[in-house]
Order: sequence, then structure tokens, then C-alpha cells
Amino acid sequence: MAATPARARADYDYLIKLLLIGDSGVGKSCLLLRFSDGSFTTSFITTIGIDFKIRTIELDGKRIKLQIWDTAGQERFRTITTAYYRGAMGILLVYDVTDESSFNNIKNWIRNIEQHASDNVNKILVGNKADMDESKRAVPTSKGQALADEYGIKFFETSAKTNLNVEQVFFSIARDIKQRLAETDTKAEDKTIKINKPDQAGAEGEASQKSACCG
Amino acid sequence: MEKKRASDEFELGPVPPLRPVDRFGFLKQDLTAPLEGPTKTRPIDELEREEKKIRKWRKMIGVGGSDWKHYVRRKPHVVKRRIRKGIPDCLRGLVWQLISGSRDLLLMNPGVYEQLVIYETSASELDIIRDISRTFPSHVFFQQRHGPGQRSLYNVLKAYSVYDREVGYVQGMGFVAGLLLLYMSEEDAFWLLVALLKGAVHAPMEGLYLVGLPLVQQYLFQLEQLVKEHLPKMGQHFSEEMINPSMYASQWFITVFSYSFPFPLALRIWDVFLYEGVQIVFQVGLALLRFCHEDLVKLPFEKLVHALRNFPEDAMNPDTLLPLAFSIKVSKRLEELKEEYRKRNGLPESVLHNKQLHSSNSEPCSASS
Repeated sequence: MAATPARARADYDYLIKLLLIGDSGVGKSCLLLRFSDGSFTTSFITTIGIDFKIRTIELDGKRIKLQIWDTAGQERFRTITTAYYRGAMGILLVYDVTDESSFNNIKNWIRNIEQHASDNVNKILVGNKADMDESKRAVPTSKGQALADEYGIKFFETSAKTNLNVEQVFFSIARDIKQRLAETDTKAEDKTIKINKPDQAGAEGEASQKSACCG
Repeated sequence: MEKKRASDEFELGPVPPLRPVDRFGFLKQDLTAPLEGPTKTRPIDELEREEKKIRKWRKMIGVGGSDWKHYVRRKPHVVKRRIRKGIPDCLRGLVWQLISGSRDLLLMNPGVYEQLVIYETSASELDIIRDISRTFPSHVFFQQRHGPGQRSLYNVLKAYSVYDREVGYVQGMGFVAGLLLLYMSEEDAFWLLVALLKGAVHAPMEGLYLVGLPLVQQYLFQLEQLVKEHLPKMGQHFSEEMINPSMYASQWFITVFSYSFPFPLALRIWDVFLYEGVQIVFQVGLALLRFCHEDLVKLPFEKLVHALRNFPEDAMNPDTLLPLAFSIKVSKRLEELKEEYRKRNGLPESVLHNKQLHSSNSEPCSASS
């Protein structure tokens, strides 16, 4: 393994920054808690502003540190949360399968991404609360899939409660981003090792793209 | 009448099993910790001191608050000093209403609250309902689904969203309203919310919740500058690590520390906040940073953000944190920074003072420290 000081210090090969967005109450914080801590609670408190959690996973022998930012869903908070879009390499668009308006709002969230995120950001559509009784379901799986197809992005139905597809969603988007970064790396003539400084989503993300690699 | 029926349709959820709670009604997190036995509760001399303090306070406020205004006019500094030491818990609800000017609003507007709750509809009803069970879920009063605590919280927030349709309902307001409801009735809590947001005594807080959260943006700017000035080494470290104050401090302002801080500390901050105004939020914030300075300046980005959202227990002891906070002088600088922020962003001259509610009898207290 490489032995440059910078390389030796890092406890991961890639740093990938993800962002969770979607209407209030769709379960963004619960999905994140399930993925980062493996737990679920019904006594969750409303997210005010912004929060983040970390989990390091392994993909094809590489250690990928996921820095996942969670946002308040209420529209009023967008002045704070959109500042975090630019630094994100992947965005999870979450709706609640029992709440049709949260699904209809996905197109507004997509518009937000187009306005504020990097052009090449990876996206994934997530219909959460899929454990709920079919009688409560308001958005059929086929509709979710159709919307995802329309935008050319992947789609999963999840349940933070029963741990359905939670790992799959995060692994899937992480894999796509890793591949994108690896491709950019190979293309780059410059083979010098870039210092893996764990910077952050919030502050203007120009610097953040280069932080993600470390071939 | 329609509306009243709608709220009556709430079915009571199951009564949660009895679990040990702390002095303030929060469920104990650590069930393995030894239960506080009757002997362990509080030492005798502490109880006596508390009794003496309550007697002093009762004398100061008079029956139902009748002597309060007189006392404040004669001895504002005594009042300030006593409030900084903490209002006795049994008088807190009453004193909060007296110092916030909400008592006057209530008396001037009989029947208004009932009208708002029963007859008006709000565009925010669904948003409010969605957050009710996510507000202080670990407190006995708010724990039961559709129980009295949750109903009161819903009513106050709905009433406010109708009273002030421009603000409506914003996440974070629930924690403020919830805190108030632990110390007063729905109607009293509602008018205290009005007094705060419309500025009965201090500058109005509504800008924290209006579209664009303009006051949050201003406060975060002011805080960032104050950190650089008071704690230059930390300011430098924050900018190197690209720490943005919105990563940790927006909830300090939006909920005035009621969101994720230990309740005994939140209450003591609220005592001072209601009497002296928002500068205490900056002072407490700076005090927390100063208390943890040595640790914080060593941490890299991720650990730093985590630490800024999870201060250690010893930092959050009100009896050490608050004196430290009071020792940090910010009021003059806050004014200057506000002006600087206004100019930078090309905002119009401040109209805050004209917008203050006229609650004829309330006593504006000296905000300087």
C-alpha cells in the first residue's frame, strides 16, 4: 500500500458526501439512523436545520467513508439547506409511499437540485415506509419506478423500520459515485496523489470534488 | 364548530407504561442508573435555601404578580441579579409571563385565543400534526399520542399560525411552545409566543421564522464574527476546517436552546433570555465554545461538527456555564455587527423598534450586561 504520510493518515480510500432531501416527515432521519447506527426509534425529534452522520463501508476492497448530511424537510429551511447541495456527490430523494404529496413534491426537489447542486451529482429515488399496510399505501411501486425512469435514476422502496433495502440504497449510490470518481481519475493525466482532506458539504463545494479520490 | 369536532376526533393512544422520570418530567434515559431514593433527592440545607429563595421571590412579585412592576421599576438590578441566579421552578411560569409582557397581552385580548383555536382553520395544520409527536417525545406530558400535552401543543401552534399567517408554522416553534406549556396554560403560552415573536419587550423574534429565515442568517453572521473576535484561535481553526455556523448554531437561535440541551440548562437560559433578550444566546454559545476551547481546536472537521452538536455534560452545568456567559460582553459589538450585516446585504434601515408591539404596561428591561 502507498505509504505517503497523507495516505497513511487516512482511514479510507474514498470520501463520499451524500445528502438526504425530501418533504418533512418522510423518514430521512430514520433512514440515516438505521444505516449509520443500525437502530430505529419511533420517538424521533424533528430535524432543525442540518445534521450529519458517518459510516465507512467496503466496496470492491476499497474503504469508502460516507459522510451523510440530513436536512430539515420544511420548505422554510431551504435557505439553510440548499447551501449544502453543492458539496454533495450524491443525493437521496426521499418520499413516503403513504403520502402522495411527498411523492408529487419530488419534482420540486429535483428542480432544487438542478439549481443548487453540481451538474454531475448522482441521484437516487427512495420510497420509504414500504412496510406500511397496503391499505395505507398512496403511491404504487410502479409510479415510483416510472418517475425514476423518467429522470434516469435508480429507485428503491425502503423501510427504516424493518430495515428493508436500507443498505441497498446507500451501497447502490455509493457504488455509482465511486465508479464515476474512478473514471474521472483514470482520465486525469495527473497521477499525483491528492490529499484526502475530509472537508465538508456546507462550504462552497468547489474544493470538495477533488477530495473524494485517492487512487 | 367544524373545527372543534375535528380536534375531538383524536383518539387517545394507549397510556404509556410508567417509567421513571427526572425532576422535570423527562423519561430517564439510563435505566440502569441507581434510582434516586428519598434520602438522595436533595440535601436538607439545599431545600432550606430553596425555601428562602422562594419566600424572597414571592415578596418581590406579590400575589399573582401585583407588586412586580413596582418592584422592577424600583430595583431593576436586584431583579436582574435574581433572575440570573434562576427563577424558582414553582414561580417560573408566572414570572415568565410577567417579564415577557405576555400577561398584558392576555388581559388586553380576552377571548381571542379561544376564537383562534375553535373557529379558524390554518394552512399549516398538517405540518403541525406531523411534528407533534416529534416534539419532546421523551417528556411524560407530550409522550401520549393525542394526550393532553400533544393536544395543547397542537392548539397553541395552530392558533399562532392563524394569528400570524405570514409566519404560519415553522419547525422549531414546537420546542419553544412545548417548553412554555410545561409551565403555563395553553392560552398563556400562546400569548407568550406572541410577545416574543412580535416583540412586546425585546426585538421581535419573528424574523427567525419568516420566509428566508432572515434573522437566523443575521445571527449566524454575528456569531461567526464574535467567535473570530473572542476566540481567535478557534475562529482560525473553524475557517481552516470550513466550519459554517449553520452546522451547529441554527437551532440555538431557532429554539433558544430548547431543542437539544439539558432541560435544567435550557430553563436557566430562558429565565435570562426573557428578561435580557437574545444576547444571552450569543453569550451562552460563546461560553460553551470557550469552555471546550482546548478540545475543539484540536479536532478535525467531522469530529468537530459532532462535538459542536454534543457538548460534554460538565460544559452544560448552568452554575458554571452561565457565570462564564455573563462575563462575555457582547451587546455593543452585536449592534455594530448587525449594522455591518445590514450594509453588506443591502438591507433597509432597521425598522425593528417601530414594529415592536405596544404592550402599554410592560417594563422594557435594561438589556445591557
